Amino acid sequence: MAIEATNGKKGWGDQDQVPGIKSELLELNMGPQHPATHGVLRLLLHTDGEIVYKVTPVLGYLHRCAEKIAEGVDYKQWVVYTDRFDYLAPMTCNHTYVTAVEKLGGIEVPARAEHLRIATAELSRVASHLIALATFGLDMGAWTPLLYCFREREEILNLLERISGGRMLYNYMVPGGVRYDLPRDNWVADVLEFVTMMEKKKLPDYNTLLTYNKIFIERTSDVGIITREDAFAYGCTGPVLRGSGVKWDCRRDDPYSLYHKFDFEIPVGMGEMGTVGDCWDRYIVRVREIEQSCRLIRQALEQLPEGPYQSIELKKPVRVPAGAAFTRTETAKGELGHYIVADGGQKPFRNKVRSCSMCNLQVLEKIGVGLMVSDLVATVGSLDIVLGEIDR
Amino acid sequence: MDHKAIFDLLAERIGAGAIAFHEDPIEPWAEIAVGRIAEACLFLRDDPRLAFDQLMCLSGLDWDGYDENGKGKSVAILGYQDDGTPEPGDRTATGDLGVAYHLYSHSLRHKFTLRVRMPRDRNVVPTVSGVWPTASWHEREAWDLVGIRFGGHPDLRRMLLEEDWVGHPLRKDYVMPGSWSGVPLQGQPFSENPFAPAAPAPAGGDTPAEG
Amino acid sequence: MEAMYAFFMDKAGMGQAGAHVTVAAIMATLMFIVMALCALVFTWMERKVAAFLQSRWGPMRTGRWQGWAQAVADMLKILGKEDIIPAEADKALFIFAPLLVLLGSLLAWAAIPWAPGFVAADLDLGLFYIFAVSSMVIIGILMAGWASNNKWALYGAARGAAQMVSYEIPLALAAIPVVMYTGSLNTQDIVIAQQGGIWNWFIFRNPFLFVSFFLYFVASIAETNRGPFDMPETESELVAGYHTEYTGMRFAFFFLSEYANLFLVSMIAVLLFLGGWWAPIPGLDFLPAALTFVIKGVLMVFLNMWVRWTLPRVRVDQLMHLCWKVMIPAALICTVGAGLWMMASGAAG
Repeated sequence: MAIEATNGKKGWGDQDQVPGIKSELLELNMGPQHPATHGVLRLLLHTDGEIVYKVTPVLGYLHRCAEKIAEGVDYKQWVVYTDRFDYLAPMTCNHTYVTAVEKLGGIEVPARAEHLRIATAELSRVASHLIALATFGLDMGAWTPLLYCFREREEILNLLERISGGRMLYNYMVPGGVRYDLPRDNWVADVLEFVTMMEKKKLPDYNTLLTYNKIFIERTSDVGIITREDAFAYGCTGPVLRGSGVKWDCRRDDPYSLYHKFDFEIPVGMGEMGTVGDCWDRYIVRVREIEQSCRLIRQALEQLPEGPYQSIELKKPVRVPAGAAFTRTETAKGELGHYIVADGGQKPFRNKVRSCSMCNLQVLEKIGVGLMVSDLVATVGSLDIVLGEIDR
Repeated sequence: MDHKAIFDLLAERIGAGAIAFHEDPIEPWAEIAVGRIAEACLFLRDDPRLAFDQLMCLSGLDWDGYDENGKGKSVAILGYQDDGTPEPGDRTATGDLGVAYHLYSHSLRHKFTLRVRMPRDRNVVPTVSGVWPTASWHEREAWDLVGIRFGGHPDLRRMLLEEDWVGHPLRKDYVMPGSWSGVPLQGQPFSENPFAPAAPAPAGGDTPAEG
Repeated sequence: MEAMYAFFMDKAGMGQAGAHVTVAAIMATLMFIVMALCALVFTWMERKVAAFLQSRWGPMRTGRWQGWAQAVADMLKILGKEDIIPAEADKALFIFAPLLVLLGSLLAWAAIPWAPGFVAADLDLGLFYIFAVSSMVIIGILMAGWASNNKWALYGAARGAAQMVSYEIPLALAAIPVVMYTGSLNTQDIVIAQQGGIWNWFIFRNPFLFVSFFLYFVASIAETNRGPFDMPETESELVAGYHTEYTGMRFAFFFLSEYANLFLVSMIAVLLFLGGWWAPIPGLDFLPAALTFVIKGVLMVFLNMWVRWTLPRVRVDQLMHLCWKVMIPAALICTVGAGLWMMASGAAG
């Protein structure tokens, strides 16, 4: 009976290739507890042996409904929740939110505060990219770069702890400025020293250890290719978009804060090791962005102006006139956006967060099909998602 | 291209479907008739003068209780009483639901904002996931959290909450269910001092005391 | 060995059969103890090597000096762990699989010549025997993966079986030139043929043997399922591969066998290519033969760990590609080339 049914002519999703033997796709739950899903992501896979036939991301394991909480706390109080979005680069998320509130409320920000914001946000970005490199290497089975990257991240955490008091969740920026001025020690000199060390010594280290390793290139080039068209259609942003060869960076092309004053370049994927938009391209974009972030940190701190660092006293609540605006900024993972609907009160009427990791992950449904399980792991790693931000 | 010109082009195309243009100083926006939104988006994407290739954001909104002066009941997160049960609500929500679309064109570098608004009991909007695939998950999120149905969406499941969850949390009249799948959600009754030492375990209990 | 036989037969007054049984029992116990010990030492060593390569300290507390007792503490902990057998698992196979894996690696140890005359089983087919019994590990891994009734374990087992079956071919082919030179499969004969300083070691005899050594080294990494070829485990893809469901002592058996296998392939490399128990230069002759042998083995293990903690992992199809399309042809060329070289240089015999 089975022979008539299959006729030996199926396969690829509608199995039963061998007459007389009933076979079907393997349903595989990758996650929510899985070493390669970078958090509590669950990927429901349908596989044909090693080949993935269908990927269905299942989200919500870290859902806290921060948007609902936003409606109940006032504008300043909600900054702490933005820390918990992208907990690997909280400064950049802080920056997005305060920029959104300031734009809507017409709040002036002192230049000193903006310089400090840029310096800390870029430090955070470096830390986040270091984790991205580290865990991407780990997904490939390279353990050692992980420890190297964490060693440097530790330095960044120490520096950010000295300025903000927190090691992971900083709550540093407030609408109208930053919470604290520079610490009274030689923080600036230490940051500049770190940045120089990063550029001169550490990045070449990573490049020899991982980037130009033959096995690593074999594993990542021509894998998980996101074309330019797909990247736009799926709303990919950040290093994923730039990895697909699009020279686009919110910091330069849709400027906010004081980024237009500084000089930096936008690295893009060029298909050096394979096709434009493959995993290696997304990886190398992050490596080169670390370099550019270092440049930005140096400029922001060397040109640090004197003056106040807050335009609104810390204890005063922020008042935002009625209106609605969408603001996006470039975080480490992509363009984080806030659509704030204000009703003139002390609390937002609605605060919708446009999660960049969510849009970046969505493309996996398309490009994940036909990859091997190992390549899928590489692709998820190269998208560099963070579940705190997807689930909010 | 400035926002007004974009709106004029759009109005030329969908006529009465483009209801109004609001020249808001921070973010101008256009109000579109609910039924014409997919058509409008397709036009905005495909017209070479507009070329909106990216949907930056799609937000579901609940306008219930909105008041321009901040005096409305916009903060209607219902609290819980001391015994853990929800506060009884005295108001039934009647306000409109809405969706906001934020578009961007990478080639022409301009932005545009569309909004639709519909009554609470007719919460269906045509999907734009056929125009920009990225809308698919945004719409699932809007359905999940705000309870807006997207007609023609290929896979409109809840995204962040469980499929059998009751209610849509970002609605202004949402009350959290008392339990879900047998899991109590309200927790313990509030006490005056949450750090007070726990009451001594009943004699014969095998639970070790807190160290 | 001869001395032991003589001792039991003459001094203790046993018959020949009695002496054989006694000596075999002593050697088996000794091998097991050495194997368990080396697993302990190598766990500690792996941590320290990894830590050294990753610019950190590794274990430093347990036992004061460099955390030497960490491995002991781990073993004690693992003995005390709850033994879980999944409800849906095939119980008999699940229990038997780790034993089979351990048995496969333990049996092979019998033919290792530690010092002149000191070998548990002095077989004429020694090398053949080692390759044969170490294949049993594959069955154990396949069994473990299947019996766990876990999809990840099944993936790991299927990958592992494919990998190990494939890599046995280049592994054995790389050893053939050595056998041709020696004219014997007896492990002692192979070592004896390399007497006379470092230039008489097979690795430096001719260029084909030199290449063969590296082929053997790569294949041996794959054979022991260690990075960059740790397909059956691939902790970032398959959770933990074939031993995902194993806990406690049963997991320890897999662990033990991994390190036993690691040392085994390193020692085979030493006896095939690196002169066995012979010291590299005459000045080092004063070292006991067994010690020289073990030191060389440990150096090979270090090399293995170095590779593991430096390189990323290859993909499963790349692994197969490397085996069938690169290493097997290369090994065949080396075999032919070594034969021709032998004929040309008149070294046959």
